[in-house]
Amino acid sequence: MPETNSLAADLLLAEAMLARDRKAAAEFVQRFSGPLAGYVRSRLQPRWEDVDDIVQDTFLTALRSINNYRGEAPMRAWILGIARHKVEEHYRERLRHSVVPEETADTELMEDPGLDALLDRTSAEERTASILRALPEHYRVVLLWRYWEQRSAAEMAAVTGKTVKGVERLLARAREEFGARWRGKQKEAAA
Amino acid sequence: MNIDEWMERLAAGTALEETEQVSSRLKSKIYSSLILALEEGGPLLPLPETKKTGRALCVFEQLVEILPAPDAVQSLQYCKVCHAKALGERIENAPIYWSGCPYCEFQNR
Repeated sequence: MPETNSLAADLLLAEAMLARDRKAAAEFVQRFSGPLAGYVRSRLQPRWEDVDDIVQDTFLTALRSINNYRGEAPMRAWILGIARHKVEEHYRERLRHSVVPEETADTELMEDPGLDALLDRTSAEERTASILRALPEHYRVVLLWRYWEQRSAAEMAAVTGKTVKGVERLLARAREEFGARWRGKQKEAAA
Repeated sequence: MNIDEWMERLAAGTALEETEQVSSRLKSKIYSSLILALEEGGPLLPLPETKKTGRALCVFEQLVEILPAPDAVQSLQYCKVCHAKALGERIENAPIYWSGCPYCEFQNR
């Protein structure tokens, strides 16, 4: 479907929801539950037990703010934006009570992951996901938030009530742990 | 490169994609909660109006839709008393097969 038709269809769906059309609500769930669940799962792994609640909460927030949807961007992107806020709220709660480490050195150099040259990108993705899942939760959350959600240490500090230095130290420790596990897996693969 | 740049490159190249499969029970529960939220804002769109938009009604809704009933009756959510809702919310791939029923359409068959 051309993008303009698709946007028009999205706007019609939003208008039908505003008119409280029950079948439009069903279409809304059918169309967007898959992409939402996929995104939330990827950002919460391996805390699968929280995924359903966040997906449901995202739908309810989207419904309550559907009058803000103007059809200027695909509805999928709009609702994923809401999900992103929900995921960040989850990260904030997880990090708020984590202990900030003492001073740490973060001078380690890593070889370029060379992802462009990798024959099997899937294996890099699997390795990354498996390391993230095995990390302590506060390390996993801070790495996902910083590198996959692209938030700065200052932004994370502002919403978690920690100092920027504290978040930077936590990030340094998390990177160090991730890097060590990455090299360990590289050695395993080479052996 | 330092480990910060390395992590940035790694994240840019790995989407961490997960399956988009959703259980029919979750879809059913979300739909039920959306309907409750819609009703908090006022009566649902009457069934004849919904039919005009081209969206399919289930057999029970069709029966109500042809009645000469006022909007207050046409706006009621009949799924609340239907076995399809109860089964859809509790059983994955529930044995429900009504055409035009959201709870049946949510089944991953």
